[in-house]
Amino acid sequence: MKKRVKRNDLLIHAVLIVILALTLTPFVFLLNNSLRTNFELDHAFFGIPTALGKRDWNTLFQSYRDAWQVLRPHIVNTLFVATVTATGVTLLGSLTAFVFSRYRFPGHRLLFMYVISFMMIPGILTLVPSFLLVKSLGLLNSYWVLILPGIAGGQVFAIFLFKSFFDGLPGELFESARMDGASHLRQYVSLVLPLSKQILSVVIVTNVLGTWNSFLWPLVTNSDAKYQTVSAGLFSLGSSALSVNHANLFAAYSLSAIPMLILFLYATKPFMSGLTSGAFKA
Amino acid sequence: MKKALPFYTLLAPSLLLLSVFSLLPFLWAFWTSFSDYEVGGQTKFVGLANYGEYLTDPTFLPSFVNMGLLTLFHIGVVLIFPLFVARMIFGLSSERARYLYRLLFLIPIVVPGIAGTLIWRGMIYNDHGLVNETLRVLGLGELTRGWLSDPQAALWAVALIGFPFSGGVNMLIYYAGLAGIPESVQDAAQLDGATGLRKFFRVEYPLLMSQVKLLVILTVMGGIQSFEGMLALTKGGPGFKTMLPGLWMYLNAFSFQRMGYACAIGVILFLIILTLTVLNLRYFRSTEELTEARS
Repeated sequence: MKKRVKRNDLLIHAVLIVILALTLTPFVFLLNNSLRTNFELDHAFFGIPTALGKRDWNTLFQSYRDAWQVLRPHIVNTLFVATVTATGVTLLGSLTAFVFSRYRFPGHRLLFMYVISFMMIPGILTLVPSFLLVKSLGLLNSYWVLILPGIAGGQVFAIFLFKSFFDGLPGELFESARMDGASHLRQYVSLVLPLSKQILSVVIVTNVLGTWNSFLWPLVTNSDAKYQTVSAGLFSLGSSALSVNHANLFAAYSLSAIPMLILFLYATKPFMSGLTSGAFKA
Repeated sequence: MKKALPFYTLLAPSLLLLSVFSLLPFLWAFWTSFSDYEVGGQTKFVGLANYGEYLTDPTFLPSFVNMGLLTLFHIGVVLIFPLFVARMIFGLSSERARYLYRLLFLIPIVVPGIAGTLIWRGMIYNDHGLVNETLRVLGLGELTRGWLSDPQAALWAVALIGFPFSGGVNMLIYYAGLAGIPESVQDAAQLDGATGLRKFFRVEYPLLMSQVKLLVILTVMGGIQSFEGMLALTKGGPGFKTMLPGLWMYLNAFSFQRMGYACAIGVILFLIILTLTVLNLRYFRSTEELTEARS
């Protein structure tokens, strides 16, 4: 029996490693080719960087230096927008969900339905009119045009997640806190938030990931490169002076992944267990 | 009423933001679709003219056919590839190995989606890219082509982006489902002599239905709505071979400045999504999955 399990495991490892290799192949070639000149690329697609063979580190990483120059402001923009948006979504989302979950007041049901119904409105319907709206509000080419709609839209799903989580917390907890004289806001800050760490990390990570990947909205609302985020910036790079060298573009694509890689090193564990523990289980 | 005041105050910021940035555009979409709204021009009410024009638009038929084909293809993909990998990982006996593989397959999500698309365009499908160079090495040089510009190949080339479709969150969703199957069920299946494929299809797969439904719904919604990839890859070309309704909406709004016409296309796509949503609610009663299939 033991031996069969082992053989079984070996087979699975073999299959998984092949699929994993196929999955990661584009990224391996990306890293390799980001260190090779146009001349090298055009003459032999497969091959290691010449500069690596010559131990010429200065030439080897030239593409990364060039790409970083161009990409840095976009990365800074994205970090700023992502931080503010995620903070807004988490604070507003959890506060609103807390009120809906713990208190009853006239219009309670109706207001909650109002909020949740926005989950049914697809982004494709509102892309163009949202653009017309922010244009007439004079918000084009600013951080606000990314942050405000980001919070408005992002909070809906957060409210839904938070409320179903808060609904599951035992009522006695709040009863005793109220007996101790804790105000509504106090209960929220010192009772609810510490209990919801896992769900908080799911909301934060999905939100930051959303901002990082968001591409169309930043592209159409910020024609000024000054406010452009990474994804939209990468798209514009293809037609810029930087793209004379393929290596520069490839280096830029690799660099764009680093901040998310760091986030993931820190947040994978709570994120994965949050996923497993029910946030996404239907 | 007075006692309720603090609650309304606490809810105000959320509700205000929603009303301005979500409700207004929603209403505005319909209103604009009935008008001849062109940037810099005079806006006038034209009734259903935009809708009538779209039905006879040369992109209408090809773009919906492309959308349908790509969506069907991706439904097939999401039913097979990530589930296969999740089941494989789940079958490993070492807990540490299972965790490690889940982590490794998650890696691709750190790469921004658009960067992934541009990598396929610029490094895999271009003239001196991975596909053509591999064909040359294998001595199949006559098969090389501009994959994204060849009218016969373009749509398939786009569909195959992301092969082998196993990285990212989908696999984790299946894995969570597998991990959620009670031990007792697994043991009972074992006792009944169900093993291997038989156990998978008779015991495990039916218990994964909510995950399957969630992913199919997400795939359909994404298939109808997403066009960013196509914008970056082909802009709908060659001809209209890879045109999508959403992409045509985008091009009308932001390249041709025809906002009214674009909104009409948006409304039509919304009505399709709404119909599917209602059908799903009526026949599958899966409200929970639906709420996650938003935008």
